[in-house]
Amino acid sequence: MESKNNWKAWLYLAPALILLSVFTFFPIINTVIVSFTKDYDVIDASFSGFTFDNYIDILTPIHNANGNDGTAFESVMLIGLPNTLLLTFITVPISIILSLIIAICLNSIKFFKKIFQTIFFMPYVTNAIAIGMVFSVIFDTKYGLMNFLFGTPGFPWIYQNLTTGATVNYWSALFAICFYIIWHSLPYKILIFLGGLQNIDAQYYDAAKIDGAGRFKTALRVTVPLLSPQILYIMITSFIGAFKEYNSVIGLFGASGGSFDKTTGPRTMQTIVFYIYEKMGENGAGGAGLASAAAVVLFIIIMAFTIVQRKVSKSRVHY
Amino acid sequence: MIMENVIETKNLQNESYKDVVLVMRDEHQSAEEKDRASKISHIIAMTFTYIFLAVLAVIMVFPFYWMIITSLKSGTEIKQLVPTFWPMTMRWDNYARAFAQLNFLVLMRNTLIVGIFSTLGTLLTTIFAAFAFARLDFKGKDFIFTLLLGTMMIPGEMMVISNYISVSLLGMTGGTNVIGAYGAMILPFMISVFYIYLLRQTFRQIPNELYLAAKVDGKSDWEFLWKVMVPLAKPTLTTILILKLMGSWNAYVWPQLIATGNPDLYLITVGLRETFSTAGDLDAYGAQMAATVIVTVPLLLVFIFCRKYIMRGVSRAGIKG
Amino acid sequence: MEIRINHLTKTFPGNPKKNIPDTTAVNDFNIVVPDGTLLGLLGPSGCGKSTTLYMISGLKQPTEGEIWFGDEDVTHLAPEKRGIGLVFQNYALYPHMTVYDNVKFPLTNLNVKRTKKAQKTIDALTILDLLEHNLDEIVKMEQESVYNNKISKSAFARKMVFRFHIVTSLANTIFSYGLSRVEGDEREAKLSEAKAKLNAAIAAEKEALEKKGFSINDKYEVLDANGATIEENRKLTKDEIDALVQETARLVQIDQYLERKPSELSGGQQQRVAIARALVKKPRVLLLDEPLSNLDARLRLQTREEIRRIQRETGITTVFVTHDQEEAMSISDKIVVMRQGIKMQEDAPQEVYRNPNSLFVAKFLGNPPINVFKGSIKKGTLYIGEEKICKNKAFKEDKDVYVGIRPEGFLCDEHTKEEDKVLSLDVQAIQTMGRDMSLVCDSACKDGDALIKIIIDSEIKVGVGVNKFAIRPTKMFVFDGKSEERIYLED
Repeated sequence: MESKNNWKAWLYLAPALILLSVFTFFPIINTVIVSFTKDYDVIDASFSGFTFDNYIDILTPIHNANGNDGTAFESVMLIGLPNTLLLTFITVPISIILSLIIAICLNSIKFFKKIFQTIFFMPYVTNAIAIGMVFSVIFDTKYGLMNFLFGTPGFPWIYQNLTTGATVNYWSALFAICFYIIWHSLPYKILIFLGGLQNIDAQYYDAAKIDGAGRFKTALRVTVPLLSPQILYIMITSFIGAFKEYNSVIGLFGASGGSFDKTTGPRTMQTIVFYIYEKMGENGAGGAGLASAAAVVLFIIIMAFTIVQRKVSKSRVHY
Repeated sequence: MIMENVIETKNLQNESYKDVVLVMRDEHQSAEEKDRASKISHIIAMTFTYIFLAVLAVIMVFPFYWMIITSLKSGTEIKQLVPTFWPMTMRWDNYARAFAQLNFLVLMRNTLIVGIFSTLGTLLTTIFAAFAFARLDFKGKDFIFTLLLGTMMIPGEMMVISNYISVSLLGMTGGTNVIGAYGAMILPFMISVFYIYLLRQTFRQIPNELYLAAKVDGKSDWEFLWKVMVPLAKPTLTTILILKLMGSWNAYVWPQLIATGNPDLYLITVGLRETFSTAGDLDAYGAQMAATVIVTVPLLLVFIFCRKYIMRGVSRAGIKG
Repeated sequence: MEIRINHLTKTFPGNPKKNIPDTTAVNDFNIVVPDGTLLGLLGPSGCGKSTTLYMISGLKQPTEGEIWFGDEDVTHLAPEKRGIGLVFQNYALYPHMTVYDNVKFPLTNLNVKRTKKAQKTIDALTILDLLEHNLDEIVKMEQESVYNNKISKSAFARKMVFRFHIVTSLANTIFSYGLSRVEGDEREAKLSEAKAKLNAAIAAEKEALEKKGFSINDKYEVLDANGATIEENRKLTKDEIDALVQETARLVQIDQYLERKPSELSGGQQQRVAIARALVKKPRVLLLDEPLSNLDARLRLQTREEIRRIQRETGITTVFVTHDQEEAMSISDKIVVMRQGIKMQEDAPQEVYRNPNSLFVAKFLGNPPINVFKGSIKKGTLYIGEEKICKNKAFKEDKDVYVGIRPEGFLCDEHTKEEDKVLSLDVQAIQTMGRDMSLVCDSACKDGDALIKIIIDSEIKVGVGVNKFAIRPTKMFVFDGKSEERIYLED
């Protein structure tokens, strides 16, 4: 009976496993391999040898013979990584705290609960790129709503002011994209927190009442600690998600990745993933190799963060 | 339980604490005053909560609102320095232009083909795999499952590059091989570890007794799967279906890679971005916004009607995380 | 604090659309609970006892009626403002906090009223006193507080607090002198150093106070410029909190577990922590919701004695809810038997047992339960079936009645007179249980299907088959056949 089960089970698993092997397991290994190749050609999978150059290009400002002039380092380590880090460390804490507050508020009201829930969840079902375009309209330099609201006509949030020639302030662009990312990421978090809140036994609230704790104290000392499993989960997934931020950059700044000079200029708001996809598109000059190396670096960073977060949270999370 | 003879010790300190009287912070008030105070604070708290939520809700909804009204404005109105909050004239022709520019029918066709096939494929592979993990016993079950869970941690970017290389090698990209291109867009997404995990949880909740009873009745696993488990897991399957379709609708990165250069192969989001990358050309804004409305509204409709499934499925997945 | 409840009613509105009628959970409930007594609310599930308790606590609002704590009408007061302690049936301990923090939590929401004291001086003097008189004991304790091969500060502190009833910070200070870790002259030196520091602290406090124009009296209270004591009303200091938590922990005997989390404790221990948390704020009323129902049988006996002991020691007015009549009877000063929201009888436990006022109450108390017969009154005489039982002036009208006879109410030994043996029962089984014997009997007049159970001395000779028994008058109760109310016999 057992061996029959074995055989049958594998049959059931077969479709899933085959697809996974081809499109998940194999690629992981392959990407690592490609990251060590020179002049990888995507069309015919040919390459001219193995090298550390891709990593050197990305991680150090050394120029090398792989045709790179050091811009890889600039793009990734000087622009991509800092951008990504800033984005992550700004949006993740703000969005977690805000969504926690919203979820607790939602949980405590009686009327209009369903309506609010629906409204707060709407951004989740929409297309990051499409809505990003809407945001770019709102933040438009000449005619954007933001400038109108703040009484700053012609202020170049994300596009250079073509008439005055004022270039975009990095920080304003950062503000715009952080605002957008937070806006887009709230729904999922709110939903998870709401789910967790509903799982908290009402008796704890009763006990806190009897113990004389006011609304605020109860929320801080009782509700939030009881939500710690969800908070940890959101922290990890948010960090990982923010690190991989890409769609919002495309949506807000277009394929130029925030190149503030309309015609040329560095991709000022690009993230690491942005770099990866850009390099993949460049098939000459070993773009695939660079992209793969960057992807591996990304993976390692994410892994490191996740491990650290899990370790730090061991003592604070209560199940 | 042996109790030590606790000597009732007196010392200066514990004597000094004997006069400790605990009082509530408002004990000087009468019962009516306390009652009124707590009612007032309750009202204030609720008012602030509602205001807070309302303000945030407006911010949440605002982009949608702006999107719709901009899509109905004329180019000149958009170019006004003082933006209006309601279009002066309703320029429905923006939509006509959007449709024309977008080549909407082609995009829809592509998106539907990719969406339907990848969703069906996912459902099938997920059902089979989840069944195997939930109900069947086999060597290495735990190992493989842990392996699968491990892959969830890996950023998709690592796989995208290599997958792109693979499908290029197989000649499935580029402009010429249409079937191949579809295949490239569908195949990698006919599987999702996340959904396997989700469905497995659901399957596991179906009591084992049903399985054993079916076995006793002589039913094969296959019958049991399709006649019992799948119907019982309908809510989860519906969630997967909806989320997957939505995913196809929103997909950008991969389809864009595959279809580069051949607009006939674009999926809807790709089409949107490619057609309207002239951000900043304000005359086109109206049409661009109309296009975004076209792209966004179907999703919102699905959401409004299937809200329960989506929200429940997403939150359940998160709780397990 | 006396509790007075007037006309307390709780109705849940029904749903006319779904044909659900209004339900009255508690109906016109009245009671006065004298200060310092332990009241048991007893009844089957659904009788409204928990609802009543929750209305007293404020977590549920009554539809009608009033609740008074002393001379304060708390009927509509929020639960956090009533000054009560509540022990939940499932304990509701905060799982993420240690036992210490759980017990401490209520104190963080309260103020303390005290006369201002020279606390540093008091603390220093206490330490000096301990060093003077208990040095050897302290050193020994320190040496015995070993954990992981190191002398543990927390283990030592725990021992010190337990033995001397000081606060933890004082124990920590003593630990910092490191007296056990050195010997002989070195120890003397450390001792003098400590004493000097303490005396310096005393002097420093005195100086600081005098600078502000204050002085200290012989009770170490701080006096203002006019020589009057200063009343303070402020948040509690860490030491004050510690003292209260430790004191309550000692009372409930959980002082060994203060550092643990609730999930690491057994059910009985968790319950004691719940009690501690309720008591630590010295509430004026203590409420317990089915405190023993989650414990196993052995623990139940132990714990209910604990509850009684704690109540006696603290003297707090206590109301607890239970469906177990033995429990209620053994520890309550007074019992209230409830049925479907109505108070059936209120009296001391023994009285309720000896003098039930209704069939329901009679059936509810007593283990094994009372035996019920169908009888009748004809012309002033009580009959069970055809057998004449007794005559009484109270039997005025002819009617059908229920006759309840306690298991211990049957007599058939050699001293029983033949003419007293009035009731025939068909003895079916005889079970000897050591000192007593239990007879399982049948009777055509029994009410319901349960067989009659008799408990008599095992020395008595009884055979299987029909026997005649005499009835102890104090163990027999007659109830009206329709209203089920007691018909009291007249002398």
